[in-house]
Amino acid sequence: MANLSLKHIYKVYPNGTKAVNDFNMQISDKEFIVFVGPSGCGKSTTLRMIAGLEEITAGELKIGDMVVNGMEPKDRDIAMVFQNYALYPHMTIFENLAFGLRTRKIPDIKRDKKGNPVLDKNGKEIPIMRKYNKQELSEKVNEAAQILEITDYLKRKPKEMSGGQRQRVALGRAIVRRPKVMLLDEPLSNLDAKLRTQMRSEIVKLHKKLQTTFIYVTHDQVEAMTMGTRIVVMKDGCVKQIDTPKNLYRYPANKFVAGFIGTPQMNFFEGTLKKNGDKVYIDFNYSDAKVTVPYTMLMKTTPQYLDGTKTVYIGFRAEDLTLDEEQVAQSTTKIKVRISHSEQLGTETLVYGDINMDGDGFAETSTRVIIKSKGFKDYQPDTVCEAALNIDAIHLFDKETEESIMPRIPEYNYLDCSVKGGKITFFGNTVELPAAVKCAEGNGELLIPVSAIRFNGEITAKVIGCEDVNGQILVSLDINGSRLYALSSEILENGEISIGLDFKKLIIKIGDTENQPMPEVNSLNGTFVMQKELETVECKKKKVPYYYLLINGIKLKAPAEIYEKMFSATTGRKVYNSTYRYEWTPYDFTLSEGGIKAEVEKILDYGSEKFLKCNADGETLYVKTDKNLSGTVYLIPDVSKVSVIETERQIRIL
Amino acid sequence: MNKTKAKVAKAKTKKILNVLITYCILIVVAFIFFFPCLWLILASFSKSGSIYSFDGFFPTEYGFDAFKSLFTDTVMYNYPKWFLNTLFIAVMSCILGTIFTILTAYCMSRFRFKSRKAMMKTTLILGMFPSFMGTIAVYLMMTQFNLINQHWGLILIYSAQAPMGYMVQKGFFDTIPYSIDEAARIDGASNFTVFVKFILPMSKPILVYTALTAFTWPWSDFILPKMLLVDKDLYTVAVGLMSLGETEFARFAAGSIFIAIPIIILYFCLVKYMINGMAAGAVKE
Repeated sequence: MANLSLKHIYKVYPNGTKAVNDFNMQISDKEFIVFVGPSGCGKSTTLRMIAGLEEITAGELKIGDMVVNGMEPKDRDIAMVFQNYALYPHMTIFENLAFGLRTRKIPDIKRDKKGNPVLDKNGKEIPIMRKYNKQELSEKVNEAAQILEITDYLKRKPKEMSGGQRQRVALGRAIVRRPKVMLLDEPLSNLDAKLRTQMRSEIVKLHKKLQTTFIYVTHDQVEAMTMGTRIVVMKDGCVKQIDTPKNLYRYPANKFVAGFIGTPQMNFFEGTLKKNGDKVYIDFNYSDAKVTVPYTMLMKTTPQYLDGTKTVYIGFRAEDLTLDEEQVAQSTTKIKVRISHSEQLGTETLVYGDINMDGDGFAETSTRVIIKSKGFKDYQPDTVCEAALNIDAIHLFDKETEESIMPRIPEYNYLDCSVKGGKITFFGNTVELPAAVKCAEGNGELLIPVSAIRFNGEITAKVIGCEDVNGQILVSLDINGSRLYALSSEILENGEISIGLDFKKLIIKIGDTENQPMPEVNSLNGTFVMQKELETVECKKKKVPYYYLLINGIKLKAPAEIYEKMFSATTGRKVYNSTYRYEWTPYDFTLSEGGIKAEVEKILDYGSEKFLKCNADGETLYVKTDKNLSGTVYLIPDVSKVSVIETERQIRIL
Repeated sequence: MNKTKAKVAKAKTKKILNVLITYCILIVVAFIFFFPCLWLILASFSKSGSIYSFDGFFPTEYGFDAFKSLFTDTVMYNYPKWFLNTLFIAVMSCILGTIFTILTAYCMSRFRFKSRKAMMKTTLILGMFPSFMGTIAVYLMMTQFNLINQHWGLILIYSAQAPMGYMVQKGFFDTIPYSIDEAARIDGASNFTVFVKFILPMSKPILVYTALTAFTWPWSDFILPKMLLVDKDLYTVAVGLMSLGETEFARFAAGSIFIAIPIIILYFCLVKYMINGMAAGAVKE
């Protein structure tokens, strides 16, 4: 019954540990969200912050349309189910369920003893808040008890019940109030395996029945995959990926998610990629194995991975390899595997092996491979056989960052270009470069961010497909037979379209030189100060505190919504002793008589827009302008649009 | 066969011997503990009253004279009055002291505030000093408050000192899972409701323990009342009995036996609550 919005949520403990680091998410009504990750990843902390049991260090949490950061748990209209049930042991089950209702009041109108409405002087009913009466209480409790089939136990006490029944009571206590959001903190981890499976489907059933937003925390990826409409995978306080179960399985954004989702774990090998024509050769390290992939699958990959020098992780799920002789015979992508042992699980057999003929297949190395094979089958240890790879299911990750190098939305389009006489030629199109873009002449590489393509301009292109990636629409464009990706706000029809480029964001590499794109934000270092001023308040002279952002000696008055957030993010007087990075976009400045003093270095003319490149006490600022100015200018940023980052702990406060 | 039989017999004798030795030790210990008590009971039934008329260790003649005079002869030594004084002081200190102790322990167990650790350490160290070390200071403070020779002065001291021993209660509260508090808070309870409706009902054993200790200390204390009470009519039993003359030994013994009665009654009333497992079924261990 409510949306949730989490914006830059942080939980930082006094010793500096970041339990939750920059959590961003929009949860829409009636979703079933699962937080999953290894223990200590911050999933429970996030849930407890939503519940109000844990204070939020920085960020904004909204339930419905209300910011609930400072609100008591009872006022947030949420309910929570705890891992250890947390039933009230001295109360009967009925009282356990009823307690949440007893503390709450419902709106009603004033009535006399007979139940007739009492009217005021104007003949109107008088609205009051009253408690639930006995009949209403028992109706509500019985309704919840019926849903969970615990009607027979209402007179018992928790200690007379089994674990499964207690968990039902805990669920009942949560649903009896019909809260806006249901929070469940590993509710099934104390139950045995059989009961867990049963309760799992019951919780899903409950979600369908209640039609409320559910947030469910678990460390069990099977629970996450089977229950969630969307899953949040977390590790070390950071969100690794938020997506539907299907997309998490098919398009893991990084090696962690790839390894965490799915049993047995994905096989990871190391290797290099080399592009040759329309094929990419994959060479496995520590092994003789080699396979080829059509280049069309790796169109979104950065070219630097495809020159055969950079080591990458190659991932294949156990079910994407097969030892089935018929399939192996037909396959063109085969690798040799030396089998070490197998585990028979009934419906399937897990075959362990190694793609390195000297490997043992036991240790988790970058050559060990697990293959899922159907039915019971005996595999002789130490035999060498061929396994077919389902090449469409390949996953590739960078070795250092462990991020996927086959992203669903690429950051840049990489294309060859040539610059001559202030004009740039790419894909057979020649475009004039604006005066602001300065680069050397010759042949080179052009990097166009997907966000830098707008759908009007002088270049003709053909839309060949649109893909909805978590709300962002990726448009595939074809220009004279070459592929270009762009982000769009709406789905475009296939066919001809004219596009233009945002030259501010382009990077042109000619030889060793490259031009600098304009940064999206200007950042300025500063501090936060308080100043008391003598004022007359209600005929009394009082010292009233005012708060300012102090940048290069200039004080900018901070409105309440800014300084309140700064206070809540720090303890005590630390707010005045910390340094901050204040960020504004080039559009947030106005030129004025006084303000931050800056020297104009250059005027950047991008044709449709003009910017001043200024130097303010050693820091470069870009400011949107209409006039050609030079010399000293004074800038006043719009304080309400500021982003604040505390530099010491790297926390985004605003 | 014979060998195993012999072995079994040997084990049996060893077992019997073990039991015998255990009982012997227990009897000796019990005698050491009970003898003074027994002797006091016998002395209270002495007819002559004076300890000098005893035949060796035990009284020569027995009778109820001491008990009778304890309650009838109230001109010099008003025992019933002392008894009521003590009861008043002990009951009031028990009520106030228990409230203070439980609240302190709950705060220390559940809330995290700035000086919490420092306060816990300070009370621990202060508790290591015997309470009579501060007697002079307490006396001076009481003269300042004008509470000398008043029962409320004593009650104040007893109930204020009781929370110093909050550690046991805090330990008990710590065992009550915090998730119950959290569940109650989400269900709409305030901190006070959590304490009254959830924590207290689950803490009956420790409440009883606290009440008993808070009652017995003022009930049997001697030093403080001796120092603060001047009027004979305001005396507590302990001070009053001390003021008895040397020849009134039987009466002294009778008085000291009689004051044990309320504690015994209290104990039997409350013992049923001192059972474990109050929190059973709350959470999964």
